[in-house]
Amino acid sequence: MPLIAVSADIYETGLDIAHQSAEKLGYRFLGRELLAEVAQEHKVTEKELLDSLQASPGLLPRRVRRRRELSNLIQVACLERLQQDNTVCYGLGAHLYLEGVSHAMRVHIISTPQQRAADLARKEGMPLQQAPKLLKRRDQSDHKWSKETYGSDDSEPSLYDLALNLTTLEPAKAVDLICDAAASSKFMAMTYSKQCLQDKLTACRVRQKLLPSFPDVEVSVSNGTVVVRISSLPYNARKKQEKVRQLASEVPGINYVEVHVTSRLLISKRG
Amino acid sequence: MSEPLSVLLLDDEPIVGKRLRPVLNKLGCEVEVFDDPKLAMQRLQEKEFNIVVTDIRMDDIDGMQVLEYVRQQWPDTRVIMITGYAMMSLAREAMEKGAFDFLAKPFTPDDLRKVISMAARYYGFDIKSPDPD
Repeated sequence: MPLIAVSADIYETGLDIAHQSAEKLGYRFLGRELLAEVAQEHKVTEKELLDSLQASPGLLPRRVRRRRELSNLIQVACLERLQQDNTVCYGLGAHLYLEGVSHAMRVHIISTPQQRAADLARKEGMPLQQAPKLLKRRDQSDHKWSKETYGSDDSEPSLYDLALNLTTLEPAKAVDLICDAAASSKFMAMTYSKQCLQDKLTACRVRQKLLPSFPDVEVSVSNGTVVVRISSLPYNARKKQEKVRQLASEVPGINYVEVHVTSRLLISKRG
Repeated sequence: MSEPLSVLLLDDEPIVGKRLRPVLNKLGCEVEVFDDPKLAMQRLQEKEFNIVVTDIRMDDIDGMQVLEYVRQQWPDTRVIMITGYAMMSLAREAMEKGAFDFLAKPFTPDDLRKVISMAARYYGFDIKSPDPD
């Protein structure tokens, strides 16, 4: 049976719909309660974790690096729990990192720009007239962040299997539609999709090991084979390659580690 | 169950059948291997197999057509799709058309054993899976 990753333009609206869908289907609900567990396990604050899901880190490299580490901690915890099917996941950005997993149905709940502006004005305690401008800025920054961090643009319609517009649908109808779609056999878990999910978890675990030493690391996994991409100055590329291999090999379930090093000189010349 | 589990294995690369036949035989299955989809389809017209394992991308007749035919002709037969071109859209299409499971190549003999043992349970066979769920 499927996993359902719900995202929404307005957090509270999506939360209700995701909760009700889980209840109606008899599925487990996985939400931001998870952040408390992650915070305790990794000695970070819940606020830091929440910020990493909500706001762009800005331009300071140290903050970007920290944000990547925090986002990755959430991904690991979330993907560990999603190895069990029959789960509705909400508020953890799962729709961005479940791409390619065929038994993960990704749903987006759409609100109008006016509804979103009103919600933002209420939350920020600002005049309604100023909200659209801030909303636009935040959207741009969020799209950039999601693309850089997860490799997916959250504004891209093809990211979602189902987009539900609350200006034309009652929330109860949206719940019905999600539950009906979840019954489709195309979202059934199978050996291949479970392997894809396991590969995503392994990639995040490897990234967790490598991010403190290699902040620009990119990791992908296919059937237990890990491909790592880092940049380095030519003189210590080999040493770094070895370190990556050693750290990545500590993660369970890995068959082989391939490390690609891009010369930092080349990058700076191109840039 | 007195009759052994019957399996039709179809892959246009003969090496796949050659490698997988012993794996299935060891599980106690009666296996018929085909590398020509037309001959496999002819055989499927004559006999109801418990399990069909088919490659997807083949010339003339592809695995999706085999799946559709088997689901229509023998609804109780479990169809397992195998492919070297696995992707989300293909996996979803196969499941929607009634596939029992979908495996990406390369896979290990243990992966196949696990899937066969799950499919066999439907017929009351208890094949020991390498990693029981």
